[in-house]
Amino acid sequence: MQLILFDVFNGLITGAFYALMALGLSLILNLSGVINFAHGGFLALGAYLSYTIMPYTGFFGALLVAPVLTAMFGLVIERFLIRPLYGRDPLYSLLLTFGLAYIFEDGSRYIWGAQSVPYQVPAYLSSPLSTEFFFLTGYRVFMVVLVALAVGALFYVLTYTRLGMRIRAGTRDLETVSTLGVNVRILRNLNFGLGIYMAGLAGALAAGLLGLQPTIGTSLLMPSFVAIIVGGLGSLPGTLLGGLLIGVASGLTTVILPSASEAIMYVMMGLVLLIRPRGLMGEEGRVH
Amino acid sequence: MSLLQVQNVSRHFGKLVAVNGVSLTVEPGELRAIIGPNGAGKTTFFNLISGFFPPTSGKILFNGQDVTALSPEQRVNRGMARTFQITEIFPELSVADNLRIAVESAAGLRLRPWLGAKDRGLVRARIDELLDLSSLTPKANRMVGELSHGDQRAAEIMMSLALNPKILLLDEPAAGMGDQETYDISRLIRRVHKQQKLTIVLIEHDMRVVFNLADRIMVLGEGAMLAEGPPEDIANSEIVQAAYLGKAA
Amino acid sequence: MNNSLKQPANIVVWVVLLTMPYWMGFVGGYTELATRILVMALGAMALNFLLGFTGVLSFGHAAFFGLGAYGAAMTIKYIAPSSMLALFIGVLVGAIAGALIGALIVKRRGVYFAMTTIAFGQVFYFIAFRWNTVTGGDDGLNGWHREPINLGFTQLDIYHNPMLFYYFVLVIFAVSVGIMALLLNSPFGRTLLAIRENERRARFLGIEIERHIWMSFMVSCVFMALAGGLYALLNNFTDPRALRFDLSGNFVIMAVMGGMRSFWGPLVGAAIFVALQDVVSSHTENWMSVIGVVFVLVVLFFPRGILGLTRKANNS
Repeated sequence: MQLILFDVFNGLITGAFYALMALGLSLILNLSGVINFAHGGFLALGAYLSYTIMPYTGFFGALLVAPVLTAMFGLVIERFLIRPLYGRDPLYSLLLTFGLAYIFEDGSRYIWGAQSVPYQVPAYLSSPLSTEFFFLTGYRVFMVVLVALAVGALFYVLTYTRLGMRIRAGTRDLETVSTLGVNVRILRNLNFGLGIYMAGLAGALAAGLLGLQPTIGTSLLMPSFVAIIVGGLGSLPGTLLGGLLIGVASGLTTVILPSASEAIMYVMMGLVLLIRPRGLMGEEGRVH
Repeated sequence: MSLLQVQNVSRHFGKLVAVNGVSLTVEPGELRAIIGPNGAGKTTFFNLISGFFPPTSGKILFNGQDVTALSPEQRVNRGMARTFQITEIFPELSVADNLRIAVESAAGLRLRPWLGAKDRGLVRARIDELLDLSSLTPKANRMVGELSHGDQRAAEIMMSLALNPKILLLDEPAAGMGDQETYDISRLIRRVHKQQKLTIVLIEHDMRVVFNLADRIMVLGEGAMLAEGPPEDIANSEIVQAAYLGKAA
Repeated sequence: MNNSLKQPANIVVWVVLLTMPYWMGFVGGYTELATRILVMALGAMALNFLLGFTGVLSFGHAAFFGLGAYGAAMTIKYIAPSSMLALFIGVLVGAIAGALIGALIVKRRGVYFAMTTIAFGQVFYFIAFRWNTVTGGDDGLNGWHREPINLGFTQLDIYHNPMLFYYFVLVIFAVSVGIMALLLNSPFGRTLLAIRENERRARFLGIEIERHIWMSFMVSCVFMALAGGLYALLNNFTDPRALRFDLSGNFVIMAVMGGMRSFWGPLVGAAIFVALQDVVSSHTENWMSVIGVVFVLVVLFFPRGILGLTRKANNS
C-alpha cells in the first residue's frame, strides 16, 4: 500500500513538472501559434543557471533569480529569432525552435559538461517528514506546494491582470485585440517570456529531483506535448489536468508494468483522440 | 417544385443571434438577390445554405431533399456551388489547372491515379469551354494568383460552374471592383444565367448589379427578413428605404 | 503543370545518381555515403509528398522510417534471411501504423496536426527502447545482415559488394520516385495540390479533405517505411534513434532546405544534409550545434530552399 501511495505521489510530482512545462508551451502555442521545441532547452537553461548562481545566492535565491534570467533570455530569443516568423507557415517557427533545441543541448554540454552535475538541495528539505511515509521528503512536498503556487499565480495573472486579460483575449481573436489598440508584438513577447519563466522554474525545481544533465529538458518535452493534447488544445486548465493525469498514470504503471510507464501516456493520448478528439477540456472548433 | 427551400432557419453564436427565423424559396431558373446593411446576417445565411456550419434551428430542403445535416462536400455533390466574399482559389496554380481540378472533381475522377485518353480529352474540352465563356483563354497558363482581382473572381465563378451545379451561390461577386470590372462580372453572371438557365442566388452591395440582374430581391436586416419582392417593389418600399438604402447613402 | 519535372532537370538528376559511386571517392566520399544519401533522399521525398504537395506538416515521420527499419531487421533476424521479404514486411508495418495513426489525426490542422504527429512519433521510440528482449533496446538490433538476392538465374551479392547494393537501392529509389511523380501528375495529385493551396475552396469543390489527407499520409508512410527498411539493410543494424523525433526534424529540414515545392528539392536537401553531417561529425564533437545553426539559418534566410523558386501561398 505504501509503495502504491509512493508511486501515485511520485507520479503527481512528475505530472506537476509536465504541467508546469506544458502550461508554458500552451501559452505560447495559443497566442502565437508557435510549437516551441526549444522549451526543454529553456528548462535545462533554468536548471543550469540556478546551479551556477547557487553558490552566490543560496538555494532559494537561485530559485527566485534563475527563472527570471531564463525568461529574459526568452524575451531576447523571441524578439530577434521568432518574431520575424509570425505570419509565415508555422512550419518555420517549429524548425527554428527545433534548431535552437539542438544548440541549447549541445551548448549546455559544452559549458557544463555531459555528466550530471551535483545539485544541492538544503539538508533540512531532503530529509523525510515522517518515518511511516518515508517517501514524503520535505523537498517533494515543497515542490508540489511551489508548483501549485506557481500555477495558481499564473491563473491569477491571466484572470485578473490587464496583461493576462489581453493574453486571453488575444488567444481568442488576435485581430480584434490589435484593433483595440493593444500592441500585439509586445503582447506576444511578454507572453513568450511568461511561458519561458514557467520552463525556467520547472528546470530549477526539477534539477534537485531528477539530477542535472544536458538532456533534462528533452525528457520532459514529449510528455508535455502529450499533456496538451490530452487536456485539449487551447485550454490551459485542460493542459494542467492533462499533465497531472499522465503523471499519475505513468506513476501507477510503474508499479504494474515498469517497462510501459512511458507508453501509457501515449495510449491515453490515442484513446482521447479516438473518443474525444478535441481533448478532455478542449473547446469545440479549436481542433482545426 | 422549388429548387431551394430554406425554412425558418436561425443561427446563434453564443448570445448573438446572427440569423433569426429566415425563410427563402427559390424556383428553378430564378436569379435571386439578397441585400441588407453590414451585419444583417447575409453571409451567415449563405453559410447555412451551403453547409459551412449547421443552423441552430430550422430546415433546408434542396431539390426536395432535406440537406440540413449534410456537409459542404455532400451538398456540392448534390449540385450546390458557391463563391466567397474573399476570393477562394488555388493561387499558385495556373488558371487552367484551377479549372482542371474543379472539372475532374465534378467528373468523379479525383481519386484516379491516371487518366485514359478519352477522359483527358473530355476534361480538356470542358476546360476550354469554361475558359471561353469567361474570356480567360489568353490567360489560361498564368498563375491565377497573379491575375487582376476581376479575373480571379471570374476564375472562381468558372470553377463553381465547372461543377455543373443546379444552383450557384455568389457572395458579393462585385466586392472591391472598379466600374469596368463590375460591369464585366455582371455581364458574365447574366450570360451564365441566361445561357445555362442556371439558378443563382447572390449577395451584393452594389445596387446597380442587384437591380440590373435580379428577378426577385430579399432584404435582410439584423438577422431577420425585412421585405421580399420584385426589384421595383423593393426600390419603392419604405421599410427598405428606412432600414437600408437610407443608411447606405 | 509541374515545372519541377522538366526534362533537363530529370536528365541531370539521373546522370548524377547513376554515376555517383564512381566519383564519390574523388570528392572525399565513399560508396556507403552515396547509398545513405539515396536512402535519406527517398525518406525526405516521401515526407515531402505530404508536406510539399498536400500542405500537411508531419513532424513525427521518423516513426514510420523506424518501423520500416525494425520491420526489415526483425524479419531477417527472426523470420527468414531474405532482403526482399524484409523490405516488404517493413513497408507493411509502416503502412499499418500509418493507416491507424492517420485515421486518428486527419481532423487536425496546421500546428495541431504537427504537434500530434510529434507526440505519436515517440510511441514507437519508447517501445523499441523498452522492449529489450525483442528489439535489443538501446543497444539496437544487431547480429544479422542483409542477404544476397537470388534472381533464379543469378545471385546479386548486395551484402559483400557495396557498389551492387548502391544500384539495388537506386532501382528501388527510381521505382518509388516514379510512382510518386505519376501520382502527383494525376487527378489524385491535383486534388492534393488543391488541398494544399486552399482547403476551403477544395471542400467547396466537393473534395472530401480528410479522406484525401489520409491517403496522402498513407503514400508518404509507405515510402518512408521503405526508406527505413533500406536504411537498416545499409547499416546491417538498427536502433531506437531511427525512430526518434530528431530524425523527423532532420527529414523536414532536408525537404525545406532543398525546396519543398519542387519535386527534386528534398533530394538536394538530403544530399547536402547527409554530407554535412558526415563531414561535421568527423571534425567536431559539437556537430549538434552546427546542425542547429543550419536549421536557424535555413529558416531565417532560405525558407524556400535551394530549388524553391515558387512563391508562398497566401491562404493560411
